[in-house]
Amino acid sequence: MSEIARKIKSIRWQHVMFTLLMVLMVAGADSCKSTGKLSKKERKAQIENAKKELQPIINGTSTLSLDEQQRVLNGIIDKNYNDPILNSLIIEAQQKLKAAFADQQKIKAQKVDVARAALYDMLLNKDNKSADELEKELNAIKSQNLKDSDLDELISKVEQKIRDMRSSGGTANIPVKNQLMNAFSSIANAAKSGNLSQADNIIQKTLQLFSSDDALVLIIISRNGNDPDYDKPTNIKRYLNLLKDTKASKNDIDAIMTDANGKIKELDLIKM
Amino acid sequence: MRKLLSLIMMVCLFAVANRVVAQDSLSPQRKQAIDSLALEKVRDLSKYISIIGDKTTPWSDAQRVIERAAELFMENSEIGVSSLGKQDVNYYKVREYFDRLMQLNYDKVTIDWYKIQYVSDLVRQPDGTYVGIITIYQRFQAFDKEKGLVYEDTTKKDITVYVKRKETQIGGRLINFWDVMLGDIRVKETSK
Repeated sequence: MSEIARKIKSIRWQHVMFTLLMVLMVAGADSCKSTGKLSKKERKAQIENAKKELQPIINGTSTLSLDEQQRVLNGIIDKNYNDPILNSLIIEAQQKLKAAFADQQKIKAQKVDVARAALYDMLLNKDNKSADELEKELNAIKSQNLKDSDLDELISKVEQKIRDMRSSGGTANIPVKNQLMNAFSSIANAAKSGNLSQADNIIQKTLQLFSSDDALVLIIISRNGNDPDYDKPTNIKRYLNLLKDTKASKNDIDAIMTDANGKIKELDLIKM
Repeated sequence: MRKLLSLIMMVCLFAVANRVVAQDSLSPQRKQAIDSLALEKVRDLSKYISIIGDKTTPWSDAQRVIERAAELFMENSEIGVSSLGKQDVNYYKVREYFDRLMQLNYDKVTIDWYKIQYVSDLVRQPDGTYVGIITIYQRFQAFDKEKGLVYEDTTKKDITVYVKRKETQIGGRLINFWDVMLGDIRVKETSK
């Protein structure tokens, strides 16, 4: 019995008490977490933190992307702190993000317009660029990742054009204006030398550049300021046959209008 | 007072008349462009006639060219035909003339027009149409397979040309154009 009493006496009661206290504290903290309840002090700290997170969004100084900023804002809204100052900051941040998203859309629309114009130019290839040069420009447009269905369609057409240029190794690489001028003089020359079947072949080949055989052809006979005088309007098939019949090409190209497929829908010529 | 009134009226009349003249007159550059356009249509016709008369022209091509050539003329226009042996000149409607030309009974026919020029300048008529006369010389040669050249003549012909400013709407755009139409082709003289 005395042995047991001696052992009890030898226990360091301070150590035991400290260990017990720590166990209780840890257990207490766990129980708080599981119920989701915050102490007033913690709630206040979190509200202050949320305000700090909203400030750069409102000031437009956040280094996060707009989508990330939206996620931060949604996270704060989900917490539902119901703090009047924080609520007004949330509204401010929402408005700011809405405007920023609108600006982003506007900028994207502008980029899409610029890219579309560039792609049309590439389809026409007025500057006589090589397939490699066109591919480089196309890659620059693709890298913008503009995600626009019209652009995607045009991109496929330019890719096809580049493939055609590489496979043909020549003619497709020539700008449309030059192709037309070459065709016009070739038709006239073939007819002049009596080679009518060759003239017909060139006519058929040239018609493929147009949206239809009825594509409008206007011939300017004189330009008086902004009021040009035209010959009677005709269509491309008739015009090409006229070149064959008269055995001469006397008009220069003034303007080429293309449709969405890059085909010529109107050709404006001018007397040389 | 009466004198003053009549003076004011005269000034007004003069101003209106001046305005009308100003509207009617074309700048020399424009006038030249229209003159050239009408001459060009006559030259086109000369090429068409040559193709229609050419025995080597495929039938389908000849028909297409007849269509284009007929479109150059005003409705009911006539073309004169003469020959060295006959005093009379026969006049045919445009389409009939082209059909007859295509069916001429020779193995080879060549027709060339040259000295195509204005004999009467384009003059504005009250309805706004400009009317002028262009003269041409036509060299006609007919060949037989065995005998070679069997007939030839040179005919001077006068072509009346009508040019009128018209407008048409294409795709929502208003296009002002000059419409050149050919009238009768009259035989002036025929020689060997």
